[in-house]
Amino acid sequence: MSKGRILVIDDESIVRTSCSRALSPEGYEVVSVQNGSEGLKMLEEGQFDIVLTDLKMPDIDGIEVLSKVKEKWPETEVIIITGYQTVDTAVRSIKLGAFDYVEKPFTPDTLIAAVTNALANRKK
Amino acid sequence: MLVKKSLHSLTGKLILTIGSLMVVGSSIFWYFLFKHQEKELIQNSVKYGYSFVEYVKKSTRYGMLTFQGLLIQQTIEAIGSAEGVLRVRVFDSKGKIAYSSDKENVGIILDKHAPVCLGCHSANHHPKDTPTWSISKDRTDFRVLNIVQPIYNEVTCYTSSCHVHPQQQKILGIVEANLSLALLDRSVKRQGIAITIYILIFLFAISLVLCIILWNFVSTPVSLLAEGMKKVAGGDLDYHLDINSRDEMGDLARAFNAMTFDLKKAEDELVEWGHTLEKKVQEKTQAIQRAQAQLIHSEKLASLGRMAAGVAHEINSPLTGIVTFGHLLLKKFPPGTEEYEDVEVIIEQANRCSTIIKGLLGFARASAAEKAPTSINDVLTHSLNIVRNKADFFNIKLATNLDAGLSTVKADPSQLQQVFMNMIMNAADAIEGKGTITISTRNIKDTGNDFIEIEFHDTGPGISDEILEKLFEPFFTTKPVGKGTGLGLAVSHGIIQEHGGKIVVKTKLGGGTSFFVRLPSYKG
Repeated sequence: MSKGRILVIDDESIVRTSCSRALSPEGYEVVSVQNGSEGLKMLEEGQFDIVLTDLKMPDIDGIEVLSKVKEKWPETEVIIITGYQTVDTAVRSIKLGAFDYVEKPFTPDTLIAAVTNALANRKK
Repeated sequence: MLVKKSLHSLTGKLILTIGSLMVVGSSIFWYFLFKHQEKELIQNSVKYGYSFVEYVKKSTRYGMLTFQGLLIQQTIEAIGSAEGVLRVRVFDSKGKIAYSSDKENVGIILDKHAPVCLGCHSANHHPKDTPTWSISKDRTDFRVLNIVQPIYNEVTCYTSSCHVHPQQQKILGIVEANLSLALLDRSVKRQGIAITIYILIFLFAISLVLCIILWNFVSTPVSLLAEGMKKVAGGDLDYHLDINSRDEMGDLARAFNAMTFDLKKAEDELVEWGHTLEKKVQEKTQAIQRAQAQLIHSEKLASLGRMAAGVAHEINSPLTGIVTFGHLLLKKFPPGTEEYEDVEVIIEQANRCSTIIKGLLGFARASAAEKAPTSINDVLTHSLNIVRNKADFFNIKLATNLDAGLSTVKADPSQLQQVFMNMIMNAADAIEGKGTITISTRNIKDTGNDFIEIEFHDTGPGISDEILEKLFEPFFTTKPVGKGTGLGLAVSHGIIQEHGGKIVVKTKLGGGTSFFVRLPSYKG
């Protein structure tokens, strides 16, 4: 039994791999997709505890994924990963219900901490 | 040439005209006066002539009545020898010269047409109307007054014992006297000459006086005026005419001076205007150059920002990979081993890349500020609270001197915080972790506008001129490799400029450095 199901949405494979390599050893089940629409499809197919999504993606961006998730699966926590942080997007993301905001490049510990916190928050 | 010129001059013309008028006028005046005087003299002479003839008649009366021819002849001769008497003759009614001062003429019978007889014997006149005097000329061209008087028959004549004249006869003869007018002529001539001399002297004196008057009151002022005109035309507008008379010339000079004064004033204004225009053009040119430089700088920052945003997005993902896998790898080596340290270096360098990227991102953010009325003192206090707890600041004294009455500014607080943090960090670096950083705020006036000023003063070694020049250039840093990106001040500069403010640096080698951030006060 895994600690939780995590969906990683990022168009960069290295980020997807990094997430999965950082989280899998910690006992999380990590599913990775490379764009927003695939992510939403995966969400339709199975339940996820946490969604890690990039902000800037070719088709559906992180903000849209976030709002869709919060609309359909409010229980699922969303953590935004971005390589291009502005106060503006941070505020917007938090307002839309993102649990946390992780800046690239992150360390495995940062990511694990964020995920752990999110999961703890969800179980409350 | 000079004469010709002076004849053409105003004075010359005036003197010539007045002189000619005076010559003609005085000539006419003196001519008539002279003629009148001469006429008077002649009339007096004629009166004298009649008295003379009467005297002749009376002197010879006794001789006539007593018929003593010799006595009469002697009397006539005696009278004729007097000065001024040329000749005295007595004619009988037949035209014979009965007695004459010139003895040789006695006995000559004159024709009826002789000048002396013509008086009575002319067919044109009645004897009564005949002039009894006339003037002729003698051989020496002097005038001679000829007086002719008839000798009328009287009772004593025809009753006399000689019975020479019958009672019926009306005129017994005539007395003729030729009196010389030479004295009168000479006197008249002398008088004429004297008068002419007087007139000439008078004319000369008048001309001289006129000359002096015209020279002083017309010629000199006119030539001064002409010279003034030339000077003014030549551009000498400081020329002042020194004519203070109260006449028309004085008025003209005053008008001229007023004109040059006005011209000078107008020219000065024009020159002044030209100068200010030049200055204004220079100022505008400088402003345009500054604006252009600022635009280029802003454009540079903006394009750097855009590039940074793109780069950040692209680079951060691979960096994530490097950092994540670095950490994963790190766990595989026991701490202290060479491999462990190598991987640490990889992670450290990846983090450094990340810092550079964050610095670059500052450019992208500088141009997209969300401004709101902001209290600078609050932002500063917040910034100080963040740095105070940092290990780097343990040995640094942070002093503040914040003006409680500081105006608010319209700004993006997070961007300003970034700037202030940068300033404080730089100051801390400058004093190398030991010393005092003083932060002061105040309201100031800059080029007539209200500004607020934040001063970050450090007790560091100061900044050299070479470094000062490049201080705000992106990627310029004096910090050791890996410590600074060289973007802090460039980004701060961009942010402050975006807020309508500026950063001024005052530094003294060995005497510390002050960074002044000036932002326009908000009057909302």
